Amino acid sequence: MLDLQGYGWLLLQGLQMTVLVGLCAMFVAILFGLLGAWGKFSHSKLANWAADTYTTVVRGVPELILLLLVYYGVPKLIQDGAAALGYELRLDLNPFVAGFMTIGFIYGAFCTEVLRGAFLSVPRGQMEAARAIGMSKTLAFRRVQLPLAMRMALPGLGNVWMVLIKATALISLIQLDELMRNAKLAATATREPFTFYFIASLLFLAITLVSMLVLKRAEAWSKRGVRV
Amino acid sequence: MPPEHALVVNNIKKRFGDLTVLNGISLTAHKGDVISLLGSSGSGKSTLLRCINLLETPDEGEVYVTGERIEMIHDRHGKTVPKSQKQVDHIRTRLGMVFQGFNLWSHRTILENIIEAPVHVLGIPKAEAKEYAMELLNKVGIANKADSYPDHLSGGQQQRVAIARALAMKPAVMLFDEPTSALDPELVGEVLRVMRQLADEGMTMLVVTHEMGFAREVSSQVIFLHQGQIEEQGSPEQVFNNPRSERCQQFLATQLK
Repeated sequence: MLDLQGYGWLLLQGLQMTVLVGLCAMFVAILFGLLGAWGKFSHSKLANWAADTYTTVVRGVPELILLLLVYYGVPKLIQDGAAALGYELRLDLNPFVAGFMTIGFIYGAFCTEVLRGAFLSVPRGQMEAARAIGMSKTLAFRRVQLPLAMRMALPGLGNVWMVLIKATALISLIQLDELMRNAKLAATATREPFTFYFIASLLFLAITLVSMLVLKRAEAWSKRGVRV
Repeated sequence: MPPEHALVVNNIKKRFGDLTVLNGISLTAHKGDVISLLGSSGSGKSTLLRCINLLETPDEGEVYVTGERIEMIHDRHGKTVPKSQKQVDHIRTRLGMVFQGFNLWSHRTILENIIEAPVHVLGIPKAEAKEYAMELLNKVGIANKADSYPDHLSGGQQQRVAIARALAMKPAVMLFDEPTSALDPELVGEVLRVMRQLADEGMTMLVVTHEMGFAREVSSQVIFLHQGQIEEQGSPEQVFNNPRSERCQQFLATQLK
């Protein structure tokens, strides 16, 4: 019934790429999320404004538009700018890097809200005890505030991950050989769209199922010591 | 300042907005003194404690810990701020603080809670810190819970761990901020026992408390605060048996009935 006609390896390569680009994007998203949360808590009006603008704009614009804007728009903008100044410049973005940076940037806005809530939910006394015993602000952040916030954030971040991994399919549009694009290639070549899109969807589902399992473990681990 | 002065507080003032919480408080704790701070809620006793280790920044006044003055300056808005956060962090290592709500770090085991600051702030080798931590846990009577998490302990046990955590820094002065106020009545005794033992061993202690029995029997000095000022001060006998201030008499009458 599902004859892969020798294209199975292509799908597996695509799967590998999807997971890789997804993990890189998640890493970037958490970094942007921490930065965004810091901006929202900062006493600087400029930082507040930047963080608010970031989350509002990014959450309000479709991922696809942002992706195309970064991949095609930004190089063109820079080239035109250089040309106006009299420089000849040819700029091509690597689709892998452009892809995970853009997806990471977008989902960083969602991580910002998750992390902001998580930091707010750390009881004040935890940080006070750390400062009162002589820890510097950075040490107390690293040893007390961050680990506590992260465990509060874990379910929310897991949720972001589930949505993010599906959004990586968009990167196929900028020619990155991930699962979606390879499924399309195989479907076109064999004229068996059902077979290959169906298998691709099963593979995405498999990623989600494995992720759920890992997250459940991670949450149980992070909740050690908490009595329910 | 002679070194036997563990703690000197000189004319501390603190306002929150328009409200004056502390209006010129001075006190001196010699080595081994146990000073009980009494007063109704809102009298400023907790704020005083928090001004000593700079959890709150006093607007005016001086704090000396084992002879070292905490240097304060005015920032460009005219607010009083510590001159060096580093000095504040360093001085805090010599001031053990015990909170009303325990504030044990919930993501670390009891043993990890105790060795955390000695290892990461003082740089003591882990093995050595653990050894001393176990000694302290034995002292406060919870060595068998070393690998449990704070959430699995009773309030009284958690507070005893919090005391051990503060002691692990070998502080010069211990500050207790209503250490038994959040406890069920039947758990108060076990914490007070540990505090009595510390006092007997010569620890310098500043205790904000509503436990009149403790204040009367253990203190070397009792201070009654009212509206941010010292209203009555003296030995426990003086304060409890012959209070000069009417407000102090009223307060004691409500506490002791």
